[in-house]
Amino acid sequence: MEMNLGYAGSAGQKTVKFWPVYLCFLVFGILIPFSKPEFSWMTLLSSMFLALVMGLLAVNMLIMLLNNGNPVLRAESGGQFAREAVSNGMLFMIPFTVLAVLALVVLGWNAVMPFASAAITTAAATAGTEVMKKGAQGMKNMMIPTVIAMLVSTGWMLLVGILP
Amino acid sequence: MNATAPAVQPRWKVALSMMINPGEVVKNQMSQVPWPFSLLISGLSFTLFFLQTGLDMLRTGQINTSTVVLITMLGLVYGTVGIALIAAMAWALAQGSERSYTIDWAISSFALGYSATLIYALLGVIFSLAFGWKTAVAFGVTGVLWALRPTLFTVRQMSGDRIAFSIALATLCGAILLFGWALLGRLGF
Repeated sequence: MEMNLGYAGSAGQKTVKFWPVYLCFLVFGILIPFSKPEFSWMTLLSSMFLALVMGLLAVNMLIMLLNNGNPVLRAESGGQFAREAVSNGMLFMIPFTVLAVLALVVLGWNAVMPFASAAITTAAATAGTEVMKKGAQGMKNMMIPTVIAMLVSTGWMLLVGILP
Repeated sequence: MNATAPAVQPRWKVALSMMINPGEVVKNQMSQVPWPFSLLISGLSFTLFFLQTGLDMLRTGQINTSTVVLITMLGLVYGTVGIALIAAMAWALAQGSERSYTIDWAISSFALGYSATLIYALLGVIFSLAFGWKTAVAFGVTGVLWALRPTLFTVRQMSGDRIAFSIALATLCGAILLFGWALLGRLGF
């Protein structure tokens, strides 16, 4: 069975796209003010900004730590392996984002953050799995993304609580 | 299917591994787990999840005790028959048979993915009974969300590593489950 996802051993470097990941963060940022009792444009703008900052933080921390934790793979791939793994893994935020939109819009649930938290943790852990598929060894590749995801989602939840 | 013979592990360990590293379990260990065991896990998860829903509604005076029992039984059906049907649908759409995955494998893998849901549901029932909290959304829905990752890996494995397809199908499965649950709550229970 083909398991290399089309990048391992391919000729040339694959273009890594992060826009779907940032889009997911942005959608969560848009949803959050609508789950509050009173809507305000200031809350919407600051929530969108906060979501993008959290997205940038999560993606770049993951890439940096996975690169630093796997120097051999980094040298072999020219630093690309972590970017590819994170971009692939973080795509797994999409189902949670879609379900959060449906839950808020169709069902009227005011529970966006549990979706966001599960999305970040799942996506980050999947990024760790992607790194291991590329040949990285050790539980650190599973633990580091999980810890980062917990820190980012906890920080995000706390900051959402003090939005204007 | 994987041709290598994996070391045999106790089923409860495989269930725990499904929460931490579902990719590895789906790839190498699912052949060790019979589908009745997996359906027991998902059945229990949804029984406890629906019990919390019933308890929440009982506290607000919407239903009586006998309806709580009925909702709980409905959870058992949802977690066994419902999950098996969703797994069969995913197996058919992912053309799992073309990659030597049987429908039993698909049902077992889908259902075992609800191990994390079971932990959340257990905690939810404890908090609901001990402190009188409303836990169906906080614990129940969160638990169902945590099962999406194993679902994604199962679909990905069955579909031959098609990421976009896996994401779309896992989203559909999650939506069916959550909307099904929400719909039951709106049908007058």
